[in-house]
Amino acid sequence: MTMMDDRFTFVKVDETASEHIAAPKYSYWQSVFRKFFSSKLAILMLVIALVIVVTSYIQPNFSNFSPLDGTNVNNAAMKFLRPNAQYWFGTDNVGKSLFDAVWYGTRTSLTVALLTTVITNVIGIVVGMIWGYSKRFDAIMLEIYNIIYNIPFMLLVIVMLYILGPGMWQLIFAMSCTTWLGVAYFIRVQVMIIRDREYNLASRCLGTPMHRVLTHNILPYLISVIVTSIARDVPSYISYEVFLSFLGVGLTVEDGSLGSMIQRYSPYMTSAPYLFWIPVAFTALISVSLYIVGQTLADASDPRTHMM
Amino acid sequence: MKRYILGRILRAVLSICVVMSITIILIYTCIPRERILTKDPGLSKFTGDARTNYQYRIWRQAGYLDYLQPSDFCAVSEDPKTCAQGGADYEEIVADYVDRGYTYIEYKESDLGFVTRDYSVPELLINFFANLVNIDNPWYVQDAQNPDIERNYYITTGPNGLPAVACSGCQYKYQLYFDSNFPFIHQNAVKLEFGISYPTFDGLDTMDVINGGQGQLIMTEQTFPTGLTQSSALNQYTCQYKATSTIDHLDQNKFTDNYANCKSNYDAPSMVSTSYLFGIIALVIAYLISIPAGISMARHKDKWQDKIGIAYVNFMIAVPSLAFIYFVKWIGRFFGAPEKFPQLGFGDIRSYILPIIILALLSTSSVMIWMRRYMIDQSNSDYVKFARAKGLSEKEIFNKHILKNAIIPIVNGIPSSIILCISGSVITESVFSIPGMGKMLPDSITALNNKMVITLTFIFASLAIFALLCGDLLMTVVDPRIQLTARKGGKKKK
Repeated sequence: MTMMDDRFTFVKVDETASEHIAAPKYSYWQSVFRKFFSSKLAILMLVIALVIVVTSYIQPNFSNFSPLDGTNVNNAAMKFLRPNAQYWFGTDNVGKSLFDAVWYGTRTSLTVALLTTVITNVIGIVVGMIWGYSKRFDAIMLEIYNIIYNIPFMLLVIVMLYILGPGMWQLIFAMSCTTWLGVAYFIRVQVMIIRDREYNLASRCLGTPMHRVLTHNILPYLISVIVTSIARDVPSYISYEVFLSFLGVGLTVEDGSLGSMIQRYSPYMTSAPYLFWIPVAFTALISVSLYIVGQTLADASDPRTHMM
Repeated sequence: MKRYILGRILRAVLSICVVMSITIILIYTCIPRERILTKDPGLSKFTGDARTNYQYRIWRQAGYLDYLQPSDFCAVSEDPKTCAQGGADYEEIVADYVDRGYTYIEYKESDLGFVTRDYSVPELLINFFANLVNIDNPWYVQDAQNPDIERNYYITTGPNGLPAVACSGCQYKYQLYFDSNFPFIHQNAVKLEFGISYPTFDGLDTMDVINGGQGQLIMTEQTFPTGLTQSSALNQYTCQYKATSTIDHLDQNKFTDNYANCKSNYDAPSMVSTSYLFGIIALVIAYLISIPAGISMARHKDKWQDKIGIAYVNFMIAVPSLAFIYFVKWIGRFFGAPEKFPQLGFGDIRSYILPIIILALLSTSSVMIWMRRYMIDQSNSDYVKFARAKGLSEKEIFNKHILKNAIIPIVNGIPSSIILCISGSVITESVFSIPGMGKMLPDSITALNNKMVITLTFIFASLAIFALLCGDLLMTVVDPRIQLTARKGGKKKK
């Protein structure tokens, strides 16, 4: 085929075209949400988690449930009712509605897990960033870390709870007072990896103070790491609460958490199995849904997955 | 290398000391001392002054304070009998104690009183650490009725016919001996002492509670030093010195010397052995499952094996261990497994199956996921590409080349797992009522047994610390390229 001039046409020079940026529009959070909502399982689990969280914070206000309420203690007709239309989850050994008790317990357990996560992560991130950035602070903190982290976490929490006595605030304190060190160490390693990159060196040469380097240069890099850490923490603290209360060292019957309910109802496992299995199923459901939501969110918050 | 190990051991000891100091200070200062009496059934038997005396005796035994009744502090008096009635130099001795920081408290029902003094924080720590290690020596026995006791070590033949190192004048007769029980060589020379257990296992040494046998006595035909042969449960190797005043004719029938205070043989193992038995079997099963599973996941990355494995690991992480344990227990009911361990007891194999399956499965997920991670990380290395270029099969590459490198971090964790398997089973032991050490910690906390909590904290903390050290040393054995001394900065410990 020969090249003929009439096969070509002149085009006008478009001044605006050269101004147009060819790269696609990118927004971090938009990409995170797009990635997150592309997983059907994650959406399902998010719905379950939201329903449980919202209901557990609203329902107890209407049911006026109190774990100390003893109105039906001597009313044999109200005890051990199987699940029915009026009492959806049946009633327990002192004639209380299990449906109300479960939501109340979920609220207590969730509060413990969420507060502990917030406390440990805030302290851990702040200390961890300074720890990773300042070399002098690093030497001191490493010694403290080596001393504390040699000791099993479970042992420290159990001993702390023994000393402080059972109760919700004591439990939150006992779980946060050593775990933040783990978060801080995790953040320290991440900060050390990006601390000496060129843009941070340049920033430091220009005289940027430490807190600005940390908050403006380093923190944005850590978002996906932090989301991963939080996503892992909430379900694990729920498990810990259940575990400790079951052993009788965490929350007591008065706090009415899921763990203390499982402990109280475990003798009825064969005689009234619904009493035992419903709180267990709730614990499993809530921690599985939060775990999957958290894992998907953590994957989605990693910018490397956005371009695929 | 030697310097490094020495440094690590010193740090480990420091860690233990710091943790124990904090624990002791908090336990003694934060828990109201009245609270430890609330679980004591014996207290309600006393009223008035007897009750006060009982309370202070308990507190003294628990290590809170020093407390002396008139009969105790009058021992220094020239006329102890009159002094104990409030006469003679009673006033002067009391005044002397008050000068030394004691408080004098009068009894409600009599004119007499007692002196008491709370220990300060440094004293609490000194009391603990000074009495912690107890080394037996030939000058231990101070018996007024037996002043001419020989004080020496000698080699003799033990009751089972094997040679043993024995001692005269020590607390224990047999210092070092051999028998057929693991670990075959036993010693009585160095003992850790934490005090007397209270209110559960009242009156027993905490270490004896954990180490002592449980269950029924075992009677065996034994020959005693006097030549008497009879059926007895005594373990002659554990005999301790008994003061001459307390020796009765039963003791004299059996023993030629004062070493007549012996422990007995029981048919069920001690708490420590029970926990170990469960832990070790479960651990072996866990590694047998998780290492091949992890290899298979890495080899078939993104295939169905990998997907099933990841789903399983996620399930194990997300589901609370308590829910999982009850779920497996519920399934076990259909196969006739017992609900609780004591139903069939130590003799029946069915008691062991469910707890071991649960313990094993609980620890598979982390080993599986790390095994997969390490193998995938290794599979892009140059040596793997070279092996592939040489034409080796995938199976050969994975099982011979990658596995050897990927297993190193797993090996690092094995001592921790072995040593910690006694504490890791806290919840399983509680659910199945297994009489082990894991269950002991929550039990002693709910019973407000201070001394037992301190003992268990010490044991668990020391085991964890030395397990980490063993793991690091084992890693250098498996992989000679690793040099612990050249490492800089902190290493992530998990």
